[in-house]
Amino acid sequence: MSIEVRHLQKRFGATVVCDDLSLDIPAGQLVALLGPSGSGKTTLLRIIAGLEVPDAGTVLFHGEDATDADVRERRVGFVFQHYALFGHMTIFENVAFGLRVRPKAVRPDEAQIRARVAKLLALVQLDPLADRYPHQLSGGQRQRIALVRALAVEPEVLLLDEPFGALDARVRKELRRWLRRLHDEMQVTSVFVTHDQEEAMEVADRIVVMNQGRIEQDGAPDEVYDHPASPFVLQFLGDVNLFRGGAATGVGAADGGTAYVRPHELQVVAGAEPGSVAVTFAQALTVGPNTRLEFRRRDDQSYVDVEMSRAEWQALRDRLGLEPGASAHLLPRKVTRFASEDIDPAAMI
Amino acid sequence: MNAAVIGAASTRVVAPPRRVSDATGEPAWLRRLLIGVALAFLALFLFIPLVAVFAEALKKGLDVYLAAITEPDAVAAIRLTLVAAAISVPLNLVFGIAAAWAIAKFDFRGKNLLLTFIDLPFSVSPVIAGLIFILVFGLQGWLGGWLRDHDLKIIFALPGIVIATIFITFPFVARELIPLMQAQGIEQEEAARVLGAGGWQIFRRVTLPNIKWALLYGVILCNARAMGEFGAVSVVSGHIRGQTNTMPLHIEILYNEYQFAAAFAVASLLAGLALVTLALKYAVERRVAAAALAEESGARR
Repeated sequence: MSIEVRHLQKRFGATVVCDDLSLDIPAGQLVALLGPSGSGKTTLLRIIAGLEVPDAGTVLFHGEDATDADVRERRVGFVFQHYALFGHMTIFENVAFGLRVRPKAVRPDEAQIRARVAKLLALVQLDPLADRYPHQLSGGQRQRIALVRALAVEPEVLLLDEPFGALDARVRKELRRWLRRLHDEMQVTSVFVTHDQEEAMEVADRIVVMNQGRIEQDGAPDEVYDHPASPFVLQFLGDVNLFRGGAATGVGAADGGTAYVRPHELQVVAGAEPGSVAVTFAQALTVGPNTRLEFRRRDDQSYVDVEMSRAEWQALRDRLGLEPGASAHLLPRKVTRFASEDIDPAAMI
Repeated sequence: MNAAVIGAASTRVVAPPRRVSDATGEPAWLRRLLIGVALAFLALFLFIPLVAVFAEALKKGLDVYLAAITEPDAVAAIRLTLVAAAISVPLNLVFGIAAAWAIAKFDFRGKNLLLTFIDLPFSVSPVIAGLIFILVFGLQGWLGGWLRDHDLKIIFALPGIVIATIFITFPFVARELIPLMQAQGIEQEEAARVLGAGGWQIFRRVTLPNIKWALLYGVILCNARAMGEFGAVSVVSGHIRGQTNTMPLHIEILYNEYQFAAAFAVASLLAGLALVTLALKYAVERRVAAAALAEESGARR
């Protein structure tokens, strides 16, 4: 089922959380709403679910106005950040809940409920835990139960609010992959909220980057990463070096604007070349397979980060004899500039 | 001082030092003194009077005791007390849940005012509470004329006693539920709603099971107070023997008439109720604590 959002407005007191939002989500897509906290992404998700009422604007499901439709009529599945499992019910009863509360006429009989729940629990490989209670499960297990509980009612739209936010890094990675696979199998239109750009890039077909109640950019992960529409998107999607205008030499000098270069788009060279920046080497930090080099610009003493693989770094160190305090030059392979530069630096964090 | 130090040292030989007490840094003699004072206080003000009630009640033998609690006026008082509690406790159960629900799950203007008003019965003297109802429902009161014209009797009758009891015991259920429901938030209710549950289904299947122990705890306290209330009920009841005397009022009358054995016999019933309440409270408290622990250990994972 497709979702369309038209000119959505929502404020809590003086805070505007949705500022004229419009968005199209075609049927079957897996879309990430990505943004910092307070960007309105969760509110947008809750409005789509019907848990929040917009001040103005419409939500269309399958082309039909659903703005005033009750939550129960929307056929959505919602997965909460903190699972919201029913603590006093067994895992089995949690998953069966949506079937048991149906009106008598459309409620499956006990045998059908048992079969459906068993199938869903097998899908997430948690069938041995059917008689346990939520507090006896690990976070990752609980999140999977929350997901199949939402799927039990066969929703046409699946909405997930920071689904992996409360989990540790390893479990999160595993669940991401699992969500992607599940989506490919079930083909249900899905929207998930996240503040983790890596998660969004890895899982989603499409990323909607939000900031201060507005949509900054909307596109495929590669497109958003390679062609950011604004400095905010560029900075939010990964580390970036800023070369401010006014600095005497180098990348940002020409038009007085700011040039952005990602750490892995910088090449370390021995001598000055056209477009290069003179720097002093400060230190190298190796984390896993990658090394992060810290340089200081010689003209304005600002820091510049460079990232490369561990092997590249070792080769470079031997070739140039880089020691802390040694001088070098940085040559950008790819520079991004934006026409208008009236962005509030505080919003980039 | 010296003896105390030696005492402390000798305990160390017998039992390994306890880390908890070491951390607080209190010497052993101080701990014992504090515990001793607390126990002596309990014995003097709580335990001895309780024993005295039963001793006095049975002083003239079991026959007198049984006669005192089966005498028609006593039976009427017991019945009235039970009826008043049977009406006011369920009503306060409903009011309490409604108020706690509204405060914990919704945001609205005047929420803090409502919270403050729920505590009013705790802060007002029961006698004043009784007088308020005389002022409103009494013959000279605001609604007195209208009530008389329609032949409705509230003051000096069962309705007045029930109203006064409801007023006095209103905070118990609500006060017990509000912090719990606020801590639980509304996520589970929202989850149930998205899964297609209606309002009543959400309440019965999700909210009620989550609050049931706290609710029972509130009801137990509410009931104990409803049966034991003296001040407010005394003002509105009119002390009509066999008709508007509740147990506490009946006890007072017997006592004033120097029928000590009878007074203590009826009092022993109320004391017995208190003991049952304590036992129930203890059992329910353990369940509440266990449920909270399970919830907490679950959340930490």
